[in-house]
Amino acid sequence: MSEICEVIVDGEIHEAKEGSLLIDLLIEEGVKIPYFCYHESLGADGNCRMCMVGIKGEKRPQIACDTLIKKDMEVFSNTDVIKKVRTDILELELLNHPVDCPICDQAGECSLQDFYMDYGLHESKVEIEDKVKNSKHVDLGSSVVLDQERCVLCARCTRFTTEITHTNELGIVGRGDSAKVTTMPGRELSNPYAMNVVDLCPVGALTSKDFRFSQRVWLLETHNSICHGCAKGCNIYIDHNKLKYKDDVIYRFRPRKNLEVNGHFICDEGRLSYKDVQENRQEFSTFNHIEVEQDIAISKFKNFLEQHHKNIHILIDANLYTEEIEAILEFAKSIKAEVFSPLEVYTDEGFADDMLKCSNRASNYKTIENLNISTENPNNSELIINFNHPQNFESLMQIDFCTHKSDTNSLVFAIAAFTENEGSLTNVDGITQQTQKAVKKNNPQPSIIEWLTRIDL
Amino acid sequence: MKECKIVSRKFAIEGSHTLEVAKHHNAYRSLEKRGEFTPTQMIKIIKDANLRGKGGGGASAGEKWELMPQDGDKPSFLAVNCDESEPGTFKDRQIITYDPHLLIEGIILTCYAIKSKHAYIYIRGEYKEYQDILQNAIDEAYEDGLLESCDITIHRGAGAYICGEKSALLESMEGKRGHPRLKPKQKEPEWFFGNPTLVNNVETIATVPFIIQNGSDAYREYGTHCSPGTLLFGMSGHVNKPGVYESEFGVSMLEYIEHFGGGVKNGKKLKAVIPGGVSCGVLTARECKDLTLDYEAMRTAGSSLGTGGMIIMDEDTDMVAVLKNILEFYHEESCGQCTPCREGTGWSDKILQKIVNKRGTKKDLEKLFELADVMNGKTICVFAPSVSSVLISFITKFRDEFERAVS
Repeated sequence: MSEICEVIVDGEIHEAKEGSLLIDLLIEEGVKIPYFCYHESLGADGNCRMCMVGIKGEKRPQIACDTLIKKDMEVFSNTDVIKKVRTDILELELLNHPVDCPICDQAGECSLQDFYMDYGLHESKVEIEDKVKNSKHVDLGSSVVLDQERCVLCARCTRFTTEITHTNELGIVGRGDSAKVTTMPGRELSNPYAMNVVDLCPVGALTSKDFRFSQRVWLLETHNSICHGCAKGCNIYIDHNKLKYKDDVIYRFRPRKNLEVNGHFICDEGRLSYKDVQENRQEFSTFNHIEVEQDIAISKFKNFLEQHHKNIHILIDANLYTEEIEAILEFAKSIKAEVFSPLEVYTDEGFADDMLKCSNRASNYKTIENLNISTENPNNSELIINFNHPQNFESLMQIDFCTHKSDTNSLVFAIAAFTENEGSLTNVDGITQQTQKAVKKNNPQPSIIEWLTRIDL
Repeated sequence: MKECKIVSRKFAIEGSHTLEVAKHHNAYRSLEKRGEFTPTQMIKIIKDANLRGKGGGGASAGEKWELMPQDGDKPSFLAVNCDESEPGTFKDRQIITYDPHLLIEGIILTCYAIKSKHAYIYIRGEYKEYQDILQNAIDEAYEDGLLESCDITIHRGAGAYICGEKSALLESMEGKRGHPRLKPKQKEPEWFFGNPTLVNNVETIATVPFIIQNGSDAYREYGTHCSPGTLLFGMSGHVNKPGVYESEFGVSMLEYIEHFGGGVKNGKKLKAVIPGGVSCGVLTARECKDLTLDYEAMRTAGSSLGTGGMIIMDEDTDMVAVLKNILEFYHEESCGQCTPCREGTGWSDKILQKIVNKRGTKKDLEKLFELADVMNGKTICVFAPSVSSVLISFITKFRDEFERAVS
């Protein structure tokens, strides 16, 4: 069954695995195909009936999501018959839809809108008072809000809670055009992955309380990154925007598909961790909590180094990029400092589950291990130079490189967060991944590498 | 008209629903034949008899039985479909009311043939009264030691028409929403919790004892070559004696109505007949003229035999109102899974409401045709295609009435 065979789609020859789903091939090859209910992670459900294609030898149009690839299959996706079928079914999808795009958060990333531009463009034939009325605001829990009128009943969200999280909070009640998604009686949507239903929802029915009404999606800039919530290394998109006269702000993290790492999803905690990255940031270099010029900070740094020759200990945060860690090791060598990265502080057994979340909450701890950096606590330190490690240890003198505000009286250098910088991370399974620099702040904090270059001993 | 009572043999006997009376009239006699045949031989007899599914589809029961694995490592199940909800159809409930032991006898034989140890009877929720009769009969059968080879459990539905669709029925029995499943890519049995399962209508199962006891040829003596045997045809609407009367296939429809139904009520003229429950296309009186009651003739006439539950309409019937009534039912009963059906039935119903309210336009009639086209052949099950054929048959055959309604 798994032999590679040739399939002709609209006259072009493609290769695919025999017995695999036709819709996967069409999506992969960029053949225009509308669909709501199909999702790679959830498989075929066949309810939306949008992905109709013509297949040679079949009397009627078939849904691509429930068609298995056969040798020498001939598929037609853009004949007049197929276009009409899609137009007709889309008209029915829109029949009871409120068409409230101007106030809908999904506008701009809505399948219904996209397909309407491709196949619809018709005037509505129903009067607004004839449409089925439903609740516009159902708080499902987990910061997910449901608009039952916008729902196309593709059942992706309900299938997610039955098949992926096995928590079964969501279901469809009612028949025919009274059918609607809701939570099971007395329950609310509550599982650590609940907010993925917002991404799964192809329309504006499920929106995130955290993001809704904050930005128009077409204004957002998107960059690829890796979540720093734990060592799993889930792939994410950083959606951010720099409004005129304002600073570049992250509005959301979204999961980015990577079948080797996180599949299609991320946990809610990771999703919402964009807030922590931005809040309570160390904006300037300080000494005893008083802002100091960069040059002065650097000269103070050099002074401290001159004062302390013995027992200089460097602490490294296991969330730093590999490139940064290597630069710090280089620097440590030049000042003959010992390097530590105690990992115990990152362990959080309660956080782990058997899906994505892992108990080690340092996104690059594997690199610490790979580079044989000591994970012991430093002892008898005279001078500690702490590169963003969350723990403090006793020493005569301390210098901190911090992304976030620190309450030590030491000399503090403000550094860029992972979103403002690029680099590589090795996850718990040993997979090394790259991030992109996303956020460009008005007054950017230098990265660790930039600081070390400036300090240049 | 030839008298033929295969399933309805004991219907007229006082107390026939009790084991004592039923046994007195030779109930469970066919079980003695069980030892004479292997399960495979029994399936062959059913196949040779060309017993066709009596729930509406008319597919060969024997071929369906053959799909059940004879030596699989998973348990096999029988699900008896008693979700009788098709408007115009009320035959299964006659069997349960008057001869529940015939059904149990059929179940025991069927379970033997498909090597099943457990049968479920999926009964529609509204049939509480009949469920009680059936449960009493099952209890009696247990007490009498008849159910040693297989267990029978009644599963009560929750009132959804679509659960009569076999895969939706099994979804419902599994405790899920009654949604039809995607059709398999090859011929295979149905699946109940992943186990091979046979789904047959009550009347189909109730026919099995006669065939096993008397042989396939005895069954084929009735009916036509392609539609052998009998069916519990029924009549409702404008007839003098509405009810269920068993007849062989292939008899003249009008003669049947005349003979068993006593003709159209109040001496009026016949206008139309919906032949087998509302999901079959309507037939005009003229079309009914030389029509016989069998699967093939009905298909040639552009409709289908369905369950054989005929709805008779006299000359004064308002066809717009009838269609509106039918669409109201479909609007209520669409399971809501596939888009064309979920939205198409509702929209058609609303357009018809507009027409009934004298606010309809010619464009609305066109829209109904368009909707019939979208609903045909684009959904998981045959619910929407049925609605489509009903819409088209009504509006084309009674075009002048519909045009008057929108002018």
